[in-house]
Amino acid sequence: MRQLREWLEVRIGLDELTRSQLTEYRVPKDINIFYTLGIVAFVAYLFQALTGILLLFYYIPDDKDAFQSVQFIMNQAPYGWLFRLMHVVGSNLMVAVVALHMLSAFFLGSYKKPREITWVVGSLMLLTTLGFCLSGYLLPWSQLSFWATTVVTNIPTAFPLCGELICKILRGSENVSSATLNRFFAAHVAFLPPLLMTLFAVHVFLVRRIGISAPPAGREEEKKWEVFRHDDHPDGPPFYPDFVSKEAIMVTVYMVIMFTIIAFVPALFLPADATTPADPLNTPEHIRPEWYFLAPYAMLKLIPNRFLGIALQLVMVMVFILWPFIDKSEKYNIRKRPLLLATFFGVIIIWLGLTFWGSR
Amino acid sequence: MRYLLTVICFFSLVSVAPGAWTDFLQKEFPKTPWAERPRVEQNVCIDCHTSELIKEEYRAIPVEWRKSWHYKNGVSCQDCHGGDPKDAAKSMLPASGFVGVPKPKEVPKFCGKCHLGIMQNYLESGHGKALMTTGRGPNCLICHGDAHKIQKANIEIINEKLCGICHTYDRAREMKAALLLTEQQINKLDRDLKILKAGLMATQDEEKILFQTQAEYRTLFHSVDVKLVQARTAEFTKKLSVLQKQVQKGFEELAFRQNFAIFIILIFLGLGICIFLLSRKSS
Repeated sequence: MRQLREWLEVRIGLDELTRSQLTEYRVPKDINIFYTLGIVAFVAYLFQALTGILLLFYYIPDDKDAFQSVQFIMNQAPYGWLFRLMHVVGSNLMVAVVALHMLSAFFLGSYKKPREITWVVGSLMLLTTLGFCLSGYLLPWSQLSFWATTVVTNIPTAFPLCGELICKILRGSENVSSATLNRFFAAHVAFLPPLLMTLFAVHVFLVRRIGISAPPAGREEEKKWEVFRHDDHPDGPPFYPDFVSKEAIMVTVYMVIMFTIIAFVPALFLPADATTPADPLNTPEHIRPEWYFLAPYAMLKLIPNRFLGIALQLVMVMVFILWPFIDKSEKYNIRKRPLLLATFFGVIIIWLGLTFWGSR
Repeated sequence: MRYLLTVICFFSLVSVAPGAWTDFLQKEFPKTPWAERPRVEQNVCIDCHTSELIKEEYRAIPVEWRKSWHYKNGVSCQDCHGGDPKDAAKSMLPASGFVGVPKPKEVPKFCGKCHLGIMQNYLESGHGKALMTTGRGPNCLICHGDAHKIQKANIEIINEKLCGICHTYDRAREMKAALLLTEQQINKLDRDLKILKAGLMATQDEEKILFQTQAEYRTLFHSVDVKLVQARTAEFTKKLSVLQKQVQKGFEELAFRQNFAIFIILIFLGLGICIFLLSRKSS
């Protein structure tokens, strides 16, 4: 071990690297557990990638064999059930963690100057994560995945002129078919991973380049950000071991939650229609998307004009992505901005209400 | 930027190409449909029977049928009544094979179009012979109830009130006793398979075997021959025992999965506690 360390020291200056990036790198002194959600999201992505690669050993992306291959993974492949359930449960937890990370970044004012690009890249990562979920949802070729994809890919048809074309490009044919499965599979394993990795690299680069933002309390006195500088926190604790240990604890909490679901409610995200093979001639009674799409789904049901509903949602997504450029206020602390605070909680309550309504 | 665009274009092409190619192949080699019996939601029979055109007493039929076991299993109007469910003009023509309300004596043949084995055993039974010779024996509807409301049959159909309409309950009680253990075994297996399915175990093969065994058994007891049922019960018990062993293995696997997941939970809990204690010590 010491020899390896010396070998690396000569070549990459390991000691200096460790000091500058870990032990002497300071994080804000009032840093809380919400700051660890980024690394938890990273670990969640990592586990998705690892379990996804293992599932690829047995999964067959063909409409005739996909369902059976998933059944084989669940019942015959050694520990296939474990890796599939980790992938399924992990995908849902990953969305929750990324969404929480975004919410905490919003609440802590971490999107403000100079971190606008970090926010935009982060929100694009959230959209990419949802893209992963959407494309992966079809792959088991179950009743649920087939009909949920039919509903989702039908949404663009509400757009005049290009709607039908977008739908056909997504499906690869008139209806959800083997061609759709191939497209979604390719997107899931070949298109989205490099896209996410690129966004991740940019996100991490920006976080390290600009520095970690301090919690809003006491940040009001900060001098204005006129020229670039690294946001140092000389009075804060070191990144390693203080912050790393916090992150490690949160990662173990994430893993405990994941395996608790696998142990006690393995079918939480896999209802009966998810264990029935796709049947294009038999529409299930209740087609519902996953929990994270329930609010937009309920909103679409609520607004009578489908085009208006989708257009409104697209506008909301754009507002979400570009929020740092809309909110120009120099106040970091959301608690001192009652209107924004009320809007923040109002949106969350409406979102939860729509999710509940959509689930019924 | 150029490199990024090149990478994105490359992966886009990779994702689109197989889809387009498969689409082409699909046109060359059309696929057969997947489903065995899709549920029928709408046809001209339902349209008419829910409209003002028809007498009020017939309007409840589609509502009752939608709650029935037949509907759940994809059995629709034309499966029993014949006719053309796609063409209103031809829907009730005898030339389209339409049969309206069958006479009591015709009911076994009506149901026997699908339940062939059961019909044969029934016709050879005392019940069937009585119906065919005197016209006064019980047909399917007497025991199973209104065809449009029909539900999954169970052993409780054999009861004093129903059997007592025609004869004493003594022989029927004997029959019920002969059936009871096997019926209980079938019901338990059915419940167990549902639990296994809810635990994400593949149960399709076992479900098929159970369905076949149950169908054979139900066919048998329509003979209303207690001795025959008693003689063949061992054969069915053996089949069901084999199935029970497979189900038991499924439960063992399910328990293993849960224990394994709990083991991993404990590992991470331990790891979390160690990190917490170490971090406190170092700070």
